[in-house]
Amino acid sequence: MKSYFENYESLHDSSFEDFMAHQLSSSLCQGIPDNWNVGVRLSVRELSLVGEGSHRHLSSSIRLQIAAASIPKLPAHLCEVIVIQRLPLGVFADPFELQNPHKHKAFRDIAVFGDTNLELPSFQSNRSAVEFHIDAGFNILFMQNNGTEFNLLLPLHARYQPLDESGYSVVEIGEPDMLMRCSVEGKQHKQSCLFMSPPNEKAKSTSATVAWKIPAGMKAHAGFVSVITFVTALLSTLSIVYASMFLSGTKVSKT
Amino acid sequence: MISLKPRSILLISAIFRVGLILVGEWQDTHMEVRYTDVDYLVFSDAASLMASGQSPYKRTTYRYSPLLAFLLIPNSFISRCWGKFLFSASDLFVGLFIRIILKQRKVPDDLCTYSMLIWLFNPFTFTIGTRGNCEPIVCAIILWIIICLINGNVVQAAFWYGLIVHFRIYPIIYALPIVIFLDPRFFRSGTKPLLSDWTSDPGKARQINSELIDKCAVCDVWKSTFTRSRILFGLISGTVFLLCTGFFFHLYGWEFLHEALLYHLTRTDARHNFSIYFYHIYLNYERELSVLEKLVSFLPQFIVQLVLILCFAKDLVFCFFVQTVAFVAFNKVITAQYFVWFFCVLPLILPWSNMKLKWKGLCCILLWMGAQTHWLLWGYLLEFKGKNVFLQLWMASLLFLAANTFILIVLIRHHNYGPVFRQHTDLKTTKTT
Repeated sequence: MKSYFENYESLHDSSFEDFMAHQLSSSLCQGIPDNWNVGVRLSVRELSLVGEGSHRHLSSSIRLQIAAASIPKLPAHLCEVIVIQRLPLGVFADPFELQNPHKHKAFRDIAVFGDTNLELPSFQSNRSAVEFHIDAGFNILFMQNNGTEFNLLLPLHARYQPLDESGYSVVEIGEPDMLMRCSVEGKQHKQSCLFMSPPNEKAKSTSATVAWKIPAGMKAHAGFVSVITFVTALLSTLSIVYASMFLSGTKVSKT
Repeated sequence: MISLKPRSILLISAIFRVGLILVGEWQDTHMEVRYTDVDYLVFSDAASLMASGQSPYKRTTYRYSPLLAFLLIPNSFISRCWGKFLFSASDLFVGLFIRIILKQRKVPDDLCTYSMLIWLFNPFTFTIGTRGNCEPIVCAIILWIIICLINGNVVQAAFWYGLIVHFRIYPIIYALPIVIFLDPRFFRSGTKPLLSDWTSDPGKARQINSELIDKCAVCDVWKSTFTRSRILFGLISGTVFLLCTGFFFHLYGWEFLHEALLYHLTRTDARHNFSIYFYHIYLNYERELSVLEKLVSFLPQFIVQLVLILCFAKDLVFCFFVQTVAFVAFNKVITAQYFVWFFCVLPLILPWSNMKLKWKGLCCILLWMGAQTHWLLWGYLLEFKGKNVFLQLWMASLLFLAANTFILIVLIRHHNYGPVFRQHTDLKTTKTT
């Protein structure tokens, strides 16, 4: 994601997909003939939202499968799975919360990119993305035939939504993008390169999303809320002024 | 009657706070819900940035003076709890200062003790410092300023006032009452002002004070505005404020000015909070509010502050209290930590109130807590259950303002108003006809 934001100002799906397709392809592992023969498959087995209200967790269950014959070729202890969860407008991840070592000690690294302002409403903010780096070595070494699974629990928070007549705004969160990065022996020295799921495999699961229904203010309330707010403030003011001038011990004494 | 000595009260309070801090650390490590305030993590991060020679404003949402980050630098190399101990110590100082102020005004021992207990064992106040909120430092300094003023120490009062306005801004509302308070009849060169002693007889209090309250405070100000004390106070506090602000501007530039000062002066938050304005702000967030709208929302605050100052400035402590309650109640953003601003002054005015705890006092407490709890229930449904209850939450904030207004009026009605000082020559009580 750091590379992405060096080239683009903000996160758009089309820009990001273009970036993944063209710019990352140059980082694919070339030393091993035909990257796809390594048989790396990264897929999302389950995506769900856990919890209620404005603070929830996005639960992703990710399966990593590598063809059995390819496992010995891989430097397992030097591989990591990279998961990039793009977030829509309307929700954000708190980068400081993600640094909590108690909760996230399983990850090699976690970072938030894009708009990390915690306070702005969605109509004044931009999108963001969370990137996880998970050590894959242990999982590769002891991989079963049906692969190995990682579970990610990403705490998310809702921003204040644009006004909506229905009183709710629906935000959809799609599946994450996933890669595996390994340090392999190159012609001259070690270099890191990427493994990605074959494009046709990846396309199968792109339709899975989760929907988050977030309360929103209603425009119909604007008129009377403003009037009653100011009338209430005025009445309180007059009451306090009256009490201060006529009901307190500061009466002017008559001589 | 309580027979605990002040030293014992402070010792028990200190042990209690140390225990809370330790329990809080355990809770943070082992439980999902943290005890520590989110703001404390912000302060600590800013402090560690400062310790490594960087700007504390690299930490997003750090909106305080660099002084606070500086005070918390030991978090990085002594213990991450250093700040909590510092804030809790300030908390204890507030209790001590409450006793000092009341004893100087000859308040009986038992009332002094009750007043200390109201602060030191108020669940709201002892959690504030132990959770890592910095407001106890502000409260301690405000009370120290009061001590300086009632002892005639204008120079020191001015120094701390300039510093605290730089640190937290809201005490700027005390500027005019302090200027009025520095009445040349009491503040004479080389003479310590005479304090009016506490009396349990409201009739006697009114008699003693009648000669002093028969003149409009505004007339006093205009007659003798530029006295030595007032000029000294203004110059010193202004200089301290500008020096601190200038120094940190030199170090951290516009980022400091914006985050630590301008943000607070222009802050509007569309997210739900106790203020009656939050929903109005949210519903109009997508358009720029007109000048008239901004003025209309500022007027209630301005009018209330002005009237309270003109009516109560001579009774400075009571003036501080009512001003702070009104300031918080009419503010565009209200968070729970603001309540500490008037909680620290409340024990100082209670000995002068003829309102009994049974039942009027108890009713006021229950009304205030009830209105707050009512708001919190709707806030919980919105934030943690995802229900659209914006309208109900806004109505709860209207009720909260109504409760605050009612309680303020009741306290004003039951307060035995009396200037803090009396004149050096003996007073002759005036006959009223």
